[in-house]
Amino acid sequence: MISVRDLEKSFAGARGEVRALSGVSFEVGKGELFTLLGPSGCGKTTTLRCIAGLELPLAGEIRIEDRPVFSAVDGTFVPPERRNIGMVFQSYAIWPHMTVFQNVAYPLAKEASRSEIGERVARILDRLSLGALADRLAPNLSGGQQQRVALARALVAQPQVLLLDEPLSNLDAKLREQMRFELKALQESFGITTVYVTHDQEEALALSDRIGLMQEGSLVEVGSPADLYLHPAHKITADFLGTANFIPAHVQRGGNQPGDEMLLESPIGSFVARRSVEWQPGMAAQLFFRPECVDLGEETAGADGAPNRGSAIVERVTFLGNAADVIMRCNEVRLRARAHPTRIPAVGQRVCFSVAPGSCMVFRADSSVDVRKRA
Amino acid sequence: MNIAPSAAAKNVQLRSWSIARKLSVRSLTLGLTLLIVTYLVLIPLFMLLYASIKSTEDKLPFESTVITLGNYTAVLTNPTMASIFLNTFLFTAGSLAVGLPLAILMAWLLERTAIPARRWIATLILVPMTIPSLLSAIAWIQLLDPRIGLINVVLRAVLGWSGDTGPFDIYTLSGMCFVQGLRLVPSAYLMIAASFRAMDPSLEEQSAMAGRGAAQTTLRITLPIMRPALLAMLIYYIIVVIESFDIPGLLGFTARIRVLSTAIYWATHSEVGLPDYGLASALGAMVLAVALLLMWIYQRLTAHQERFATITGKGYRPRQIDLGAWTAPATALCVVYVALAVVLPFLVLAWTSLQPFYAVPSADSLARVSLEGYFRIWQESTVVRALWNTMVLALVTSAATILLAVLVSWFVVRRRKAADGLSHYLATVSFLPQCVPSIVIGLAFIFVYVRFPIPIYGTLWIIALAMTTRYLAYSSRTMTSALMQVHGELEEASQMARAPWARTLRRITMPLLAPAMINVFFWVAVHAMQELSMALMLYNPETVVVSTMIWSMWQNGRTAEAAALGVILILLSALLLLGGQVFLYLRRSSDS
Repeated sequence: MISVRDLEKSFAGARGEVRALSGVSFEVGKGELFTLLGPSGCGKTTTLRCIAGLELPLAGEIRIEDRPVFSAVDGTFVPPERRNIGMVFQSYAIWPHMTVFQNVAYPLAKEASRSEIGERVARILDRLSLGALADRLAPNLSGGQQQRVALARALVAQPQVLLLDEPLSNLDAKLREQMRFELKALQESFGITTVYVTHDQEEALALSDRIGLMQEGSLVEVGSPADLYLHPAHKITADFLGTANFIPAHVQRGGNQPGDEMLLESPIGSFVARRSVEWQPGMAAQLFFRPECVDLGEETAGADGAPNRGSAIVERVTFLGNAADVIMRCNEVRLRARAHPTRIPAVGQRVCFSVAPGSCMVFRADSSVDVRKRA
Repeated sequence: MNIAPSAAAKNVQLRSWSIARKLSVRSLTLGLTLLIVTYLVLIPLFMLLYASIKSTEDKLPFESTVITLGNYTAVLTNPTMASIFLNTFLFTAGSLAVGLPLAILMAWLLERTAIPARRWIATLILVPMTIPSLLSAIAWIQLLDPRIGLINVVLRAVLGWSGDTGPFDIYTLSGMCFVQGLRLVPSAYLMIAASFRAMDPSLEEQSAMAGRGAAQTTLRITLPIMRPALLAMLIYYIIVVIESFDIPGLLGFTARIRVLSTAIYWATHSEVGLPDYGLASALGAMVLAVALLLMWIYQRLTAHQERFATITGKGYRPRQIDLGAWTAPATALCVVYVALAVVLPFLVLAWTSLQPFYAVPSADSLARVSLEGYFRIWQESTVVRALWNTMVLALVTSAATILLAVLVSWFVVRRRKAADGLSHYLATVSFLPQCVPSIVIGLAFIFVYVRFPIPIYGTLWIIALAMTTRYLAYSSRTMTSALMQVHGELEEASQMARAPWARTLRRITMPLLAPAMINVFFWVAVHAMQELSMALMLYNPETVVVSTMIWSMWQNGRTAEAAALGVILILLSALLLLGGQVFLYLRRSSDS
């Protein structure tokens, strides 16, 4: 549906060219919600704007439904107004001098009859429960209403593709959560191919069919939310999403193929873990597991010797409401775990912990943040 | 498959884009805008410099083929020229010494102290802007002419002064400085008040918390923080005074005091002998060089001002200083200023316009009050033509300026990231006329159109074109800052909604810029109506406008008619400005 290949882009900065995108490639399937996730300045919005046609890439190719809208090789550039794309901007960009109706009717072809335009606008406004606001001017709308108007305007002309640039970041926390589900339901019912840009990982995990994690102008890794969170291929991904325990370890055996089980020796005991894509035989290794994958228990007996288990002293507990963040020490290594809010261990208490082998991964120890150096 | 294109391939591909993009409406408009701005600004300046190095012996500069520096040596060796340079210096220094301290003091009083009737005074300070300089000069002649000036006559009677002249004489350098200085106050006040408002009040409150009094705070905190802004303003007003023509033109004519701007005029409108275009263009080029240098300093000062950026967006005003015993003198100062700048000049003009010949108010002259002056000028076909021409000129100039300013500002703001430097070029060239004195623009336009194939010399259009050039600087600057407030995503949303560039400009950008466009429209219209020096250089009997009409009536001693026409011009200006405000107000209230 959307195919982005080897996209390159740089901007003129104060000290010469600044590389914004280096070799970004991905595909988005029909009806899929694909999220570009990453910290600010990672190039996710630039990628989105290249798809929209608002930026001119230096090199690469972009196709929408097999039609090249940009190709560096033969000089194709379809201007944004002829790409048949709907877009919701971060600021919503509701034209303040027009009513809600005028805003939404704007993308409809001038050739369409007045009654047809009226009908189509009314239909989409009803769909987004904006019917009562048709004659309001934009400045008199709340944030949530503005966001829905922007959506209605993006969808009214039935585009092939919907682009969303941080559409929830201007809403307050409560509304953001509610709109997250509305947005997903709407996208599914329209079945529209969507590219979504956000820096909010929670939002990305909740909404997306697939997520592409971006860092410093490169796409690090693409996968389903669960894969990316639980079995990331790269340490950068593991580090960026959620919180993580990284423990230096020595490989004892195993690990011929990515995904294979390996046996590791670490300061907190021996662990069975899965090999990541990143780790290659011969590399120094690092054990990774998420705090919420740690099971805490009181009984210390039987912990000795068995892999993926150990005991630790609780150092600090932070109550978070729906859980408690537990920091404990095991042989001079700090570990982080999540405890159920009704079963919080006391500070100074010795606890037994265990992590399922399926939740442990092996990364290379010297993974530098510079993703461009990766093989 | 995944092979990145080589550098050579990239070049080929970029070239093919630039060809494709050249054909779009947007690129055509950009090309046209670049062409027009270059044509309006750079061609006349080039012609001026060209004329200044042409020999003028026996010939007009555009007919001569001899290249020479003779015009410059003539300027520099002529003993009269030394006095002109000195006069210009003294006139500039004197006017600034009168105007700027007054403006700073009043801005401080109105922004930082608890002076009574603040809103009234703040509004009244701006009223002198509706009175053209030409008419304040005429008004002050009637008030301070050593022989018949109203104030002199009254003072002589009150003081029992013997003799029939004095005590004041407006036909002196100090008289010129006084009238010019008063005129600088409103716009300088606006600039300083804006700096006061932009300043973070907590900086001053911190000083109060440190135990300093109001005077200490003002002298040790407020003014030093504002120093860069004040310095920039000083430079800006040096250019304004060097450029001013009306007041030195009228007062200096009788006083036989010439400054650079009037010297250029009299060189081309000599009472004896042929016009000396070579001398005028050499003088023009020299004024231009000085103004460019000053403008360069000004730009550097304002560019670095960000280091002193004090704008916080905190919407509160600092605690107002209680003036105590000084309240009455401070209020009196403001009242006296308003009286001197607006009330007295307007009253004396109105009085003169109602008299068949100039007379001091008395029982006799009161009996002679009549509207005859107003009726008489209407019987003159030239006056009707001048009024009509003025209207056409104001409308055409402001419409052309605003259209050009919108396009210039769009390309300046929205293309500023483009690597080709065109947006920087547009910004620089369109701002250039700000430091080209009007009289020099008028002169340069003569050089362009006497020879140019476009036959507009001697028509109203050449004046409109000259004014469009002059006002392009202010308009494009104003539109640029207005456009910067319009979020780029509003336009991009229109593109994504299938609107091509021209439609986006028409349906989204221009409606959003409407308030700024309306403001600039009326600003240009009023300035075009009151403008004298460009019109004076370029008009002929067919294309006479109100300001040149008043000028020639005054030169011919037709005082009452000049005053009557002046009153009409002031009222028209006030009406236009008021109309603009009402229009904006109605727009705003219909929106909400």
